[in-house]
Amino acid sequence: MSSHSHHIIPFPALVATGLALTVLTILTVAVYYIQLPDPINIIVALSIAIVKATLVGAIFMGLYWDNKFNTLILLMAFLFFFVFVGITMLDTMFRDPSMIIY
Amino acid sequence: MAEHAQVRAPHVQHHFASSDQQFDSAKMGMWVFLLTEIAFFGGLFVAYIIYRAWHPDLFTLAATQLSTPLGATNTLVLIASSLTVAMAIRAIQTDKKRQSIILLLSTVGLAMVFMIIKAFEYADKFAKGIAPGAYYTYEGIAHESASVFFSIYYMMTGLHALHVVIGIGILLWIAWKVHRNHFSSEYYTPVEISGLYWHLVDIIWIFLFPLLYLIE
Repeated sequence: MSSHSHHIIPFPALVATGLALTVLTILTVAVYYIQLPDPINIIVALSIAIVKATLVGAIFMGLYWDNKFNTLILLMAFLFFFVFVGITMLDTMFRDPSMIIY
Repeated sequence: MAEHAQVRAPHVQHHFASSDQQFDSAKMGMWVFLLTEIAFFGGLFVAYIIYRAWHPDLFTLAATQLSTPLGATNTLVLIASSLTVAMAIRAIQTDKKRQSIILLLSTVGLAMVFMIIKAFEYADKFAKGIAPGAYYTYEGIAHESASVFFSIYYMMTGLHALHVVIGIGILLWIAWKVHRNHFSSEYYTPVEISGLYWHLVDIIWIFLFPLLYLIE
């Protein structure tokens, strides 16, 4: 894979990614002002954020051309995060109602 | 050992077989560091998720105190800075040192714009008594846990801002080293992995912006 690690990202790809991120930012703000009903607005906002983060990771950080092991490290970080959220919520969502929360 | 008799580039340290192996190792090391950064911020995102699940009404009320135009502007500023740092890496890969320095300094400039906007936001809140934790004195939000939202807000944006400040220092140091001819198309590893750090700071903000500013 070493020959792939010295990939120079094409200039049009960088500019197109910058433009796409700008458009998606404007879109997410526009969707906020439209005021969609409750669960849908969070899903839309987070979906746009995930697309933006994927663009930054794949193009700006070069993961698309890079050794796939680096992508695996990133995915492991998110896997760890979801385990962290899941196990914590198993506690916090099922507490005795008499317990004081802050 | 005959194959090692070939002339090695001066930047290759003795424990690496080749420049490529050294580059790949440094980059993988940076990705492992970024994993620990995601774990670091992850704790705060977990706190955010738990408190939002407990007090959805509080988050709707409290988010009205945050300025969506300023948050959106800062998002665009950080995206622009990610583009300039990616272009700075491209410039050094093609031996355009002067262009690389200009792009690195543009990134630093955009990072400073981000910090100035953030400072105005913080100053506006402190003036109203919206301070973290026990220093919270604002009475405009009718919710008993109002200070909790802002404690999370200050921890998340504060830790992020600290990363921006550290990033400014790193990028200035990299620009100085480019100026001193430490890097070229043959060896630019520190420029590339500093760029990875900067893009991660951008990614964290890409999630913070909708989660804090875009709650209705």
